[in-house]
Amino acid sequence: MSDAPKVLELRDVAVHFGGRGGFLSSPGPVVKAVNGVDLEIGRAETVALVGESGCGKSTLSNTIVGLQAPVSGSVRVSGEEVVGADKKKLNDIRRKVQMIFQDPALSLDPRSTVGATIAEPLIVRGVAKGRELKEHVATLLQQVGLRPEFADRYPHQFSGGQRQRVVIARALALEPDLVICDEPVSALDVSVRAQILNLLVALQKRTGVSYLFVSHDLGVVRHICDRVVVMYLGRFVEMADRDTFFANPKHPYTKALMSAVPEADPVVQRSKERIILGGELPSPANIPSGCAFHTRCPLATEICSKERPELTSRPDGARVACHHA
Amino acid sequence: MNTAVLALGNRLRRIPISVIVVSIIFLAIVLIAIFAPWLAPADPAKQNLLARLKGPGFELRGVTYWLGTDDLGRDLLSRTMYGAGVSLSVAILSVVVSSLVGVTLGMVAGWFRGKIEIVIMRLVDIMMSIPAILLAVLTVAVLGPGFLKLVLVLGLTRWPRYTRVAYAQTLQVANLPFIKASELAGAGAGRILFHHILPNIAGPLLIVATAEFGLMILMEAGLSFLGLGIQPPAASWGSIMSVGRQYLERAWWIVAFPGVCLFLLVFSVNVLGDWLRDEIDPRSRAR
Repeated sequence: MSDAPKVLELRDVAVHFGGRGGFLSSPGPVVKAVNGVDLEIGRAETVALVGESGCGKSTLSNTIVGLQAPVSGSVRVSGEEVVGADKKKLNDIRRKVQMIFQDPALSLDPRSTVGATIAEPLIVRGVAKGRELKEHVATLLQQVGLRPEFADRYPHQFSGGQRQRVVIARALALEPDLVICDEPVSALDVSVRAQILNLLVALQKRTGVSYLFVSHDLGVVRHICDRVVVMYLGRFVEMADRDTFFANPKHPYTKALMSAVPEADPVVQRSKERIILGGELPSPANIPSGCAFHTRCPLATEICSKERPELTSRPDGARVACHHA
Repeated sequence: MNTAVLALGNRLRRIPISVIVVSIIFLAIVLIAIFAPWLAPADPAKQNLLARLKGPGFELRGVTYWLGTDDLGRDLLSRTMYGAGVSLSVAILSVVVSSLVGVTLGMVAGWFRGKIEIVIMRLVDIMMSIPAILLAVLTVAVLGPGFLKLVLVLGLTRWPRYTRVAYAQTLQVANLPFIKASELAGAGAGRILFHHILPNIAGPLLIVATAEFGLMILMEAGLSFLGLGIQPPAASWGSIMSVGRQYLERAWWIVAFPGVCLFLLVFSVNVLGDWLRDEIDPRSRAR
């Protein structure tokens, strides 16, 4: 990859919650939602962030967009440091990162017309006014495959897929460098998922935007992503290029995730080895010692509960944090 | 333009009969209140001790008292007409004052959280634990009676209910993704509160406001009854009724007519409020 600044660079980012008592409440336990995370995303690249609920995916996304401050580490967007930036600078950086949410029914204001929703970032940032604004909104609507006349309608008058198109139009209004897609298709009908995914790909080709694609649907990830990162209890346990990742998953947690993906062919499905993980995801307020995964890992030995494995590079380019894989 | 007119026509046709009826009642009361000086058949303060406590339809020297007279022989119809203005304006103004104060505080507490939330919500608890009428009596006792002071006292003692509702609703709406999207778009607190949170919590607040509207008329009546509200000989529905209470056995009409007017006003405001709450929600409009 080139020397141009990465769209996103995370260095040793940690985000913790709680621990401080309030006026009338005693201090609670510290929840270590994200720990020691490093990640780079290049221009026009799509990186998938995979993990089960509660592993810190959403916290990490909030940190990247600047809604959640990390306790340590560095977050750089297009080479600009977000952590510790003053308000004005933070505001400038923020326009380069936008977000698409899981449920399009909740991510549009039911009392605002679609046009007003898409226009908001343009108005707030002073990009356009009056007629120019109207034209800008119309162009954005067309870009996501909606008719410009739809601007006067309210969200409830649209289908789920159309709403998600509106959400995408709003996210692209400020021409961001990075869009975080938080499960953008999991709330949609299967029939419209492919349309939305294809739209995202087409928009990337045209604008060169990068995506951080948060998902636990590995089928979708395979369809759209260049690289995959697997997260477990606030840490990355495996990072690899898509093809390497799907051809040869290494971390036992990744293998378990993969084995849970249903196959279209029933013969393959029946012959498939299923790895069933025992137990629940441990609480991030009380992360197991050593390798956080050792409580549920089929390969775990003594060392796993004592020493935390670091991410190490493998011959095929993947990076894995495991003593045994 | 044409489509807009058509759409308006469609919406007008969909207004339920009950809403049309109560709108007419409400409008009639408002018009009577405004034009009382021209509509009233007699001077509402003019006493006629020969015509004390006479029933509806009583005639004396060619003057007909359509709704009867009160204990000082004043024409009840005229007093009720004049009283409409006082009751309406006290209720409307104090609802405006208390909802402005209450909603602002509630949204601020719910949005900014932290210390300001603790201060505002404890203040609400304190206000709610003091009987409103007692607080009003104390304040009027210190400030002295008068129309504007009455409005201020009612407005500034009745805000906590709005604050509670606005606060709870704001907490709920603030967590929805579309608010996060606005923050990402770069919108400041003022824009988010006004453009996104307020429209989405307006429904429940409207219901509180209509309930409070009726209560305000009654509070005004109570304070006037204690001599702390509207000063005689000026009339409000509350003060007419509180005087009439003493003569209930002999002269039912003194309480009955302003009472029926009060009932009609509060009822129509409540029905209108319900309808308006649905109407400001784009989801309930024609699809």
